[in-house]
Amino acid sequence: MNDERSIRSVAVAGGGIVGLSAANAFARALPGSDLTVVEIPPGPAALADHLPTAHPNIARFHALIGIDERELVRAGVASYHLGTIFENWPAKSEPWVHAFGSYGKPAAAIPFDQIWVRAKCAGKALAYDRYSVGAALARAGKFVHPARDPEFVGSRFEYGLRLDPDLYRARLREHAEGAGVRFIAGDVGAVERREDGGIAALQLATGGAVEADWFIDCTGPTARLIGALDDSIEDWSAWIPFDCITLMSEAASAIPALADRVCAGERGWTIDWPLHGRALKARVGSDGDTKIARYRRLRPFVHNVLALGDAATALDPLHGFQLELVHRAILLALELLPGRDFHPLEIDEYNRRAEQVMRRVRDFIALHYVQQVGVENAPDSLARTLDQYGYRGRMPFHEDESVTRDSWTAVLLALGVVPGNLDPASGLIPFEQAISAMERLAREIDQTVAELPAYADYLARITR
Amino acid sequence: MSDQPPKTRVVILGGGTAGWMTAAALVKQLGHACDVHLIESEEIGIVGVGEATLPHVRFFVESLGLDEADFMKATHATFKLGIEFHDFGRIGTHYLHPFGSFGAPLNDVPFHHYWLRLHRAGLGGELWDTSVCNVMAAHHRFEPPPSGSPLYNYAYQFDATLFGPYLRSYSLARGAIRTEGKVVDVEVDGTTGDVAALRMESGERIEGELFVDCSGFRALLIGQILQEEWEDWSRWLPCDRAVAMPCTSDGPLEPYTRAHAMSAGWRWRIPLQHRVGNGYVYSSAHISDQDAADALVAAVEGKALADPRVLRFRAGRRTRSWSKNVVAVGLASGFLEPLESTSIYLVQGAIAQLIELFPIGAIRHQDRDEFNHAVDVEYDRIRDFLILHYHATTREDSSFWNHTRTMEVPDSLQSKMELWRRSARVAKYSQGLFFEPSWVAVYVGQGIVPEGWDQRADAWDSGKLDAAIERVRRQVHERVAAMPEHQAFISARNAAIGLPE
Repeated sequence: MNDERSIRSVAVAGGGIVGLSAANAFARALPGSDLTVVEIPPGPAALADHLPTAHPNIARFHALIGIDERELVRAGVASYHLGTIFENWPAKSEPWVHAFGSYGKPAAAIPFDQIWVRAKCAGKALAYDRYSVGAALARAGKFVHPARDPEFVGSRFEYGLRLDPDLYRARLREHAEGAGVRFIAGDVGAVERREDGGIAALQLATGGAVEADWFIDCTGPTARLIGALDDSIEDWSAWIPFDCITLMSEAASAIPALADRVCAGERGWTIDWPLHGRALKARVGSDGDTKIARYRRLRPFVHNVLALGDAATALDPLHGFQLELVHRAILLALELLPGRDFHPLEIDEYNRRAEQVMRRVRDFIALHYVQQVGVENAPDSLARTLDQYGYRGRMPFHEDESVTRDSWTAVLLALGVVPGNLDPASGLIPFEQAISAMERLAREIDQTVAELPAYADYLARITR
Repeated sequence: MSDQPPKTRVVILGGGTAGWMTAAALVKQLGHACDVHLIESEEIGIVGVGEATLPHVRFFVESLGLDEADFMKATHATFKLGIEFHDFGRIGTHYLHPFGSFGAPLNDVPFHHYWLRLHRAGLGGELWDTSVCNVMAAHHRFEPPPSGSPLYNYAYQFDATLFGPYLRSYSLARGAIRTEGKVVDVEVDGTTGDVAALRMESGERIEGELFVDCSGFRALLIGQILQEEWEDWSRWLPCDRAVAMPCTSDGPLEPYTRAHAMSAGWRWRIPLQHRVGNGYVYSSAHISDQDAADALVAAVEGKALADPRVLRFRAGRRTRSWSKNVVAVGLASGFLEPLESTSIYLVQGAIAQLIELFPIGAIRHQDRDEFNHAVDVEYDRIRDFLILHYHATTREDSSFWNHTRTMEVPDSLQSKMELWRRSARVAKYSQGLFFEPSWVAVYVGQGIVPEGWDQRADAWDSGKLDAAIERVRRQVHERVAAMPEHQAFISARNAAIGLPE
């Protein structure tokens, strides 16, 4: 019966955003279970604990743990985030915007990018991001919440959040306390193993030990717990070349810009993350303060140990997938919540699904460097995407695809992977009609954005 | 980007359901990019027993722009809410695999976990009563779901011998060319190995750039000419024959297909507007043709309308359905017995992939690989789901069931079943057929009760939960009670577009 299989206690190692996110989620999803966090301060290479970017899915995570987004914004913990402006990437290109949500409108089941490519060839298309409401808002420095009416262009974008890492961490901690989570300061010493290979207890450096049914490793790339059990990884460094990061913080205007700004140089790139009253910046390249790992743990779940954040998957901060992957992994662990015997079958199912989720994020990030490292060296699934999209604008299907078609096409087209042929099926729609619909849409977007109030006014109104 | 390339000449060999579905879809979706030429021979005839479909077929009908009422009248079609399986898990039991879901998830936890928890405590009632589809079927009611409703869906049961001709008129009216006659020779290009042309008995030579092999089990192009291998699955799916016999319709018009397990296979019952289709799918290693025919005749509920007719087949698939410039669609590409009405779905899926990967000038191996991969996924998923019906049983009453009950199943199915047994979880995928409610229906319907469930379902007080499920059940029954009878709904529709024939 179920009493014999329910998880009664969870110990989280890691006191950063990753560990606290896990503690909040598991404490609320598993009522009646004991939750302990060993508050090991995250090291500098644990990027998921330090970066401010959250994708639109954070709304689902916040709903799960009961955090109110507007309250975060009101308190200056979070601000709205529409996407990323890319400069000089590829070299000497016009700046372009990767925005959350849709680009254009499909016509009779023909994807918009097909129509755009056709219009572009006829010299009748504006830049691709001119058909994205999110991009238009980001450029204009304006924000409103998406409208509900799907016919109105104001509904056709999504937004994420930019979180001040220190403030957000404090907020998560407070929230976890409210959910009955127990905190232990200090560090983990030895790891006490069970006979079956799993972990029985964490010995604390200060004396004492933490026993639990389930251990969550949120210790960053050092992977203090799971690393002792299994060290097989898939190395991503050949596809995501830069291995160093330097993080900086400086004072900035109180109203943060809505898009992150990435600027590519010859030996790396920089990114600006505007926060309330300050800006975080990073330089990513071949030298810098901190080494960054790029890999995926082949088995992020081993026996009774689940790795999250950089302990499971590490990559550079492009598009800020770090926290998004933590949320996805937590939701997947809940969807497949194993019994406390952690049967290999249930653990394997998690690892199988996690691989599917991580693979396409790897591909998406690797896409940005594919010219640099050589198309012929791309991972197989990315090579398939490049071939199918470059030849005919088709996007091959992947289970648990973690990047939307809109995101894929926005980046592919911006990086110059433009379909060489028209998909025969797209010939079905009357071209002139499609072009005038495109023109109308661009006008509608520009006009809608122009009529919006200034961001400061909107913020003042909703945070009152 | 290149300009519009010249039109591709597509030659479809075979005018059964697969052939005319391909022709209709191509003239509609790609009429601007290809010329469609279909070759069929009235002498050869078609298998044409695929009378039951899955909800996906609605999308096909819709994408051709057909009027549902008109199409249903022309093919004597009825509505289908699922398949009712009798005697599979154990003799005397039955359940309906619905085109819909059971209850709704609560706090991200699928409904069946809550139901299981109560069921183990002797509460919660029957799972089936929480599905609108099941209750509609039990009361022989039908009403289309409100558009966009996730609650339930439906498919059609139609006369497959009328579906092909219906699509033939459609295709011919939109520019498809039809040639009647037999192919006597296939001309292969010596350099490329591609099929270059078909030679007809009349002496006519029909050229093309792309050939679609819809020649059924004969697989004239993909099998006989290109020698693409066949992967045999009969060790898991031993049924290799069917004996079919239509009969008159007695009693109320059921909005579902029935599948009755028999001593050496199973028997279908498909109600159409004007008759009932029946057939016994069996393993020739376990019963003779004559005994199977006798068993069918004894079991049918109406008056026979024809003599029993025997069909032969084997379960499996072509390792590559697209080879050179030949794409196999339908039985030439593979065969899975009609236990879950997947034949027309597989045809439809192959056509959708062909349209998505339609050649732009020369055929590329990358596009063929994409196509073959997609077809493989479809076949593998359905295969596992079908095997489950035979394997999840306690029947010990015949050598056939002893074989299927004790056989080794594919690893991919074994792990799915174990995952369910342990924790009531359904291995998730979104490409290919049969999602969570389908697996849950067969597992529960055939008596595989899991040991545990999602522990989040334990967070609720069982008394409150039981009351909540009772409310769901009452709502479902009230909703169904307000729906018209299946027969009345069809008669009213037919009357609205003219008297039924």
